[in-house]
Amino acid sequence: MSKFNKDTIIAIHNQETAEQPDYISVGMSACGIAAGAQEVYDVFAKQIKSRNFTIKLRKCGCAGMCYAEPLVEVKANGMPVVTYGRVTEEIAQLILEKHVANSILVNDCVVNIR
Amino acid sequence: MTKVVQAQINGILIRVPEGTTILEAAKQVQIKIPVLCKHPDLPPEASCGICIVRIKGTNKMLRACCTPVENGMEIITHDPEIIEIRRTVIELILSNHPNDCLKCQRNNDCELQRLTADFGIHSESFPTFLRDIPKDYSTNAIDLDPVKCILCGRCVHVCQNQQNVWALSFLERGMQTRISPAGDIQLADSPCVRCGQCAAHCPTGAIVEKDDTGIVWNALQNKEKYCVVQMAPAVRASIGETFGQIGVNYTKKLYALLRRLGFKAVFDTSFGADITIMEEASEFEERLLKQTRPLPLITSCCPSWVDFMEKFHTDMIENFSSCKSPHEIIGVLSKTYYAEKFKIDPSKIFMVSIMPCTSKKYEIQRSSEMFASGFQDIDAVLCTRELGRMIKQAGIDFENLPEEQADSILGEYSGAGVIFGSTGGVMEAALRTAHYLITGRELEHVEFESVRGLERVKETEVEIDGMKIRVAIAHGLSSVEYVLEKIRQAKLNNTEIPYHLVEVMACPGGCVGGGGQPYMVTDELRVKRAKALYSDDKDKEIRFSHQNPYIKRLYEEYLGKPLGEKSERLLHTTYVPQPLYRK
Amino acid sequence: MVKRIVLIKDTAATGPDTTRDFYNRFLDGIREHKLLDEIMVVRAADLGYYGHGLVVKIMPNNIVYHNVQNTDIERIIKSTIEKNQILDDLILNEKPKQIKVALRNCGLIDPENINDYIAHDGYKALSNVLLEFTPEKVIDELKKSGLRGRGGAGYPTWMKWKACRASRSNPKYIICNADEGDPGAYMDRSILEGDPYSIIEGMMIAAYAVGASKGYFYIRAEYPLAVQRIDEALTKCREVGLLGENILDSKFSFDIDIRLGAGAFVCGEETALMASIEGKRGTPHPRPPYPTGSGLWGQPTVINNVETLANVPYILCYGGDNFAKIGTNSSKGTKVFAVTGKIKNSGLVEVPMGIPLKEIIYDICGGTISGKDVKAVQTGGPSGGVIPNKNLDVLVDYDNLQKMGSIMGSGGMIVMDTDDCMVDIAKFYLGFCVEESCGKCAPCRIGGFQILQILNRITEGKGKIEDLATLKRIAVSMQKASLCGLGQNAPNPVVSTLNYFEEEYKEHIINKRCRAGKCVALLTYTIIQEKCKKCALCFTNCPVKAISGNRETGYKIDQSLCTKCGKCKEVCKFKAVSKE
Repeated sequence: MSKFNKDTIIAIHNQETAEQPDYISVGMSACGIAAGAQEVYDVFAKQIKSRNFTIKLRKCGCAGMCYAEPLVEVKANGMPVVTYGRVTEEIAQLILEKHVANSILVNDCVVNIR
Repeated sequence: MTKVVQAQINGILIRVPEGTTILEAAKQVQIKIPVLCKHPDLPPEASCGICIVRIKGTNKMLRACCTPVENGMEIITHDPEIIEIRRTVIELILSNHPNDCLKCQRNNDCELQRLTADFGIHSESFPTFLRDIPKDYSTNAIDLDPVKCILCGRCVHVCQNQQNVWALSFLERGMQTRISPAGDIQLADSPCVRCGQCAAHCPTGAIVEKDDTGIVWNALQNKEKYCVVQMAPAVRASIGETFGQIGVNYTKKLYALLRRLGFKAVFDTSFGADITIMEEASEFEERLLKQTRPLPLITSCCPSWVDFMEKFHTDMIENFSSCKSPHEIIGVLSKTYYAEKFKIDPSKIFMVSIMPCTSKKYEIQRSSEMFASGFQDIDAVLCTRELGRMIKQAGIDFENLPEEQADSILGEYSGAGVIFGSTGGVMEAALRTAHYLITGRELEHVEFESVRGLERVKETEVEIDGMKIRVAIAHGLSSVEYVLEKIRQAKLNNTEIPYHLVEVMACPGGCVGGGGQPYMVTDELRVKRAKALYSDDKDKEIRFSHQNPYIKRLYEEYLGKPLGEKSERLLHTTYVPQPLYRK
Repeated sequence: MVKRIVLIKDTAATGPDTTRDFYNRFLDGIREHKLLDEIMVVRAADLGYYGHGLVVKIMPNNIVYHNVQNTDIERIIKSTIEKNQILDDLILNEKPKQIKVALRNCGLIDPENINDYIAHDGYKALSNVLLEFTPEKVIDELKKSGLRGRGGAGYPTWMKWKACRASRSNPKYIICNADEGDPGAYMDRSILEGDPYSIIEGMMIAAYAVGASKGYFYIRAEYPLAVQRIDEALTKCREVGLLGENILDSKFSFDIDIRLGAGAFVCGEETALMASIEGKRGTPHPRPPYPTGSGLWGQPTVINNVETLANVPYILCYGGDNFAKIGTNSSKGTKVFAVTGKIKNSGLVEVPMGIPLKEIIYDICGGTISGKDVKAVQTGGPSGGVIPNKNLDVLVDYDNLQKMGSIMGSGGMIVMDTDDCMVDIAKFYLGFCVEESCGKCAPCRIGGFQILQILNRITEGKGKIEDLATLKRIAVSMQKASLCGLGQNAPNPVVSTLNYFEEEYKEHIINKRCRAGKCVALLTYTIIQEKCKKCALCFTNCPVKAISGNRETGYKIDQSLCTKCGKCKEVCKFKAVSKE
C-alpha cells in the first residue's frame, strides 16, 4: 500500500462514510471473547457463507456493557441499529433467521436500540 | 556559572547553588537531618524514608537526601510530627531486623543502632518478623547475612554502578526482597571480585569482612608458631580513624603495636612494593625496548582487579604484569629468604597481612602460585577494621605507644613503596624506577602530580629520554571500561597503542579507599588518607625503589636480578580466564 | 411493512418481572387495533433504565414511557401509535448520562481496520496538527481543554508536554502507560483492544508537540489481545507511512515500539516503568528529576496514560473549548470508570466529570445485584478509599473524591453491599499492596506488612483496641515517608474505612463480631434446638466431624472443631442452623 497523505485520509473517510452497508458486529474484546464471542462470531461467519447472506460481518471492541457480553450489533433492512446481549450460538442463529432474514427482532435479547 | 537559589530552612534564609539537596543545605543552618540509607559517598538511594522534611504549601513530606532546594521553598526539618514519623519508620525497620546487636560484628559501629539510640527507642512497638534467608560465607572474604539487611541499596549501588561487577542485586519484592547474587546463588559462584566495597558501605552488619581475628589470636597463642606480620601502606593512614584521628600516619606506632600483640617480626608491605616495582619496571622496560610482550603493561597488584580481569576482560591477560602483589611477595620471602637467613623453620612461620582490603583474604589461596615457598605464603589476612578491634581487645593504648622500627630486611621501604596505597601511586613509583632503567639516569623531579588525585580516569604523558610514555590510571572498576575500550579499539584498528602503562585499582581512591578500611569513607577522607602517604614519601630520604639499599641487598644475596630465574619462580604468577558464574 | 418497533421491559427493582405479561396485553391491543402488520412488539432484555417500572420504548421516534400500567396500553396505542401524540404523564425525558469521548469508538469501529478508524474522524486531528499547527499551538489547545492525566494523579497534561518541550536535550520519548493494574479496573484494556489507533494518534500528537522521535507502549503481558491489536495497528501504521519518516508528507518522523510489563503493579509508577523499559529492576526513583527533564535513559520523556492519550485526538479534532464544556471547573471532560463488585450492570461507563456518584451506581448501572443497600463504593483501586452510602451524592471529580478521603485513581469503582465487611475490604487492598510493594522503601515494605498483620488479627478476633491507634500511626508514616504513590496511598483503604466504619472495626475487636458475616473466624454456627428435627443431615455432612449427637438427643456443634465451612447450614432443610 502506498504512503498516506492528507488527501488519502480524506478520500478514505469520504468513501467509508458514503457506504452504509448492513452489518453484524460482534464485540470481540477480552470481555466478549471470555463470554463466548468467538463461537458466536464463527456461527455468523459460517451461516453467512453457507446461506449467501449479503450482510457484512465485522468485529468491534468493548462497548462497556460487559455484563451483557457477548454483544452483537445488527444493522439490517433499514431498521434501527439493534444491540443484542448475552448472545449464544442459538441466539446467533435466531438473529440471522429472524432479524436479518425476516426483519423480526428477537425477543428477550435486545439490550439497546438506536 | 551555577544559579543560586534562595529558600528558608526553619525560617532561616539560605542561599545555595541550584541542585543542592535539602540535606546538604540544612548544614548551613546547623541542622544534621537524620539519615539511614544515604551514605555521604554515594548518590541518594531514597529507600529508608527517615530524612523526610516538611515543605510549606504541600501536605506531602519530601526526602531531604534527594530533593534539591527550589527557589522560595520554606522547609521545616523538624517538628513533633516529623520526629514521630521518623521514629515510626525506624521502629518498622527494627521490626524486620534481628535483635542481636550484642553479638553482631557491627555492635557499637552500626548506623541503625546509632539512630535507634538517638531516637530513644527502648521497646518494641511492632512484633518482629524476620525473613528466613541463609547466610553466605562462601567467599572467605565477605560474609553476607541478608537477614540483617535493611535494603538501603548501598551495596547494590556500589557493586553495580561503582564497581560494575553486578554480583549483588535485589531479588524478589515486598517483604521477600533481599540482596543476593542473581539466581539466588552464593557469592563465591557469582562474578563477585571480593573488593568489599559493599561491606565498607553497609550501614549494618549485613555485609561484613570475614572475621579472622580469632585465627590470628590462636596462632599468636600457639607456641609452635613463629608469628610474623606485615602491614600495607594504606593501613597506617587510616587506623587512626578507629580512634577518631583522621589523616595521621601511624607507621611507627603500628610497628610497636604489632610487636606488643605478640608478633615476632614486623615487616612492611611497602618493602614488598619496592620489589614489585623492581620487577614491574623491568618488565615494562623489556616490553618497551625489546618488544618481548605487548604493551600497554597493566598493573596487577590489586587482587580484585585481577579477578575482575580474569572474569570480564580476559583479552587483556597478555598485557597483565605477571608480578605478584606486594604482600604476597613479602609472604613468600618471609618463608624462604627470611627463614633461611634467620634459620627459622618456614613450616613454623605464621604470616599475617594487615590490609585495607577484603580481597587479599581471597588472594592468599587464589592459585598454587600463592604457595611458592612450599607453604601457604600468607596464612591470614586481617583488614584495618579487624586490627582496630584487636587493639581494643588487647586493651592497648594505641595513641600513646612509643614509636618503633620495622624489622630489618623486609621492613625498610622507600618513598615509592608507601605511595602504593593511593591511586596513581604504583604508576608514580614505576615511572621513577622505569626512568632509571631506561635512561640510566635518575629523575630530577620525582613527583608526578598528574598521576595523583581522585579523578576516576587519569591520562597523561611522561617524557623519558625523548620517548613519550602515555599512561592511564583508573580506580573504581567502572572506570576501567573506558581505558580498556581504548586499548581494544587500537588493537582492532591496528592503530598506535593509546597507552604504554596502565594502573588499575579496584577501589575508588586505591587502597586508601579499600573495602577493609574504616567506615564512612568519602572522597574527602580518601584525599586525607592519601595525603598522609604522600607526606611519608616526601619525608623519606630514599624515594626510588631501586635505590633502597635493602632491595639491592636482597637481589644481591638472594634473588639475583629482576625477572631472573628465582624472581620468576617466587615473585611472579599467571592468569587464567575464570567463569563469571560457577553455577 | 413494519413502521414502528415497540420495546417493552419491566425495570422495577423488586417484584416479579411483568415484562412478558405486559407484552402479551400490549400485543392483544395491537391486534385489536389491527396494527399487527405495522407494529412490531419486542421484549427487551435491557433498555438502560432502572427503577422506572414498566418501560415502553417506541422506535424510530425514540419515545420512552415509564411506570406504564396495563391501563395505559389503550391510550398509548390510540394516541402515540396511531396519532403520534405524546403522553406527557408517561414520558421519560432523560438526557443520556454517559458521554463517550475516550470510548467514542469502542464497540463502534473494527479495531483491526484502519479505514474504519479513519471513517470515524481518525487521523483528522493528526493531519491538521502536522500540517497546520505549531507544537505550541497543540499544547495551547490541550491547555484550553483542561485535560488532566487519567492515570491517577490528575496532573495537567499540557504542563507535562510543555515542560518536556522546554527541555533542550534530544532525543525525547513518549511513553504510553498501559500497565493497568488496579484490581477490577480495565478501562485501558478496553481502549487498547477496541480503539488502538486513537491511542497511537494521541501519542503521535504528543510526540509532535514535545519534539519526540520515539515512543513506547508499556503494556502488561497479561493483556495479550491488547498487545496483539496494538502490534497489528503499529504494523499497519508503518505500512501506510503513518509511522516512520516524514509522516503525512510533513517533516515529522516518529516510530513506536512495544515493551511488555511482567506484571509488577509498581511498574505503573512512571519512574519504575522507565527503569523497567531500560531493562532494570522496576523500582521507583525519587523525583525530581521529573521524567519531562530526565526520563527514559536520562532523556526528556512524557508518560501519559492510555485514556489520556485517547482523549487527545478528540481534543485536537473538535477543539479544546468543546472538550472543556464537559465536566466541572477543575476537572474537565469525561472519565471512564470500570464499575464492578456487587453491581447489577458491571462494565465500563464514561461520564462527564461532576456527575453524582449515585447516578453512576443506580441510573447507569442499575444498583446492586442483590437488591440490598449499597454499603460503600471503593474508588481509586488499592490506592483509593471507600465512599460510604451516606456520601453517594458526591459529585465525582478529582478534588471531591480527594476530599472524601479517596481518589479518582485510574477509574476502578467497586461497589459493596451490606454483605461486605469493611475490615475485610481494607485487608484485601492492603494485602494487594503488600504483595506488590517493590520492597525498596522501608515505610511501604514493612509498614504495609505490619498493618496487614494487625488487620489479620482483627478479622480473626484477636484484635486489641490499641491496634486502631497503631494502624493510624503506621498509616501516617507510610503516607508521609514512602517514596512513591504506591506506598503513600497504600494505607488509604485502611484510613478511609477506619474513618467511616470505625464502629465495624470495634465490633470485630470488642464484640468479636463481623456484621457482614465475612470474617470466618468470628462466625459461630449453632443448631437451634427448637427448629431441629434431628434428621442427622448436618451430622453426616460435616466434613470435620464437629457435630455430635444422635437421632434421639439431637445434635450440637463442637466450636473447637468447627471450621466454619457452612456445610451444615447449607444442608439443613429446616433452617435450624444459625450463623452469627
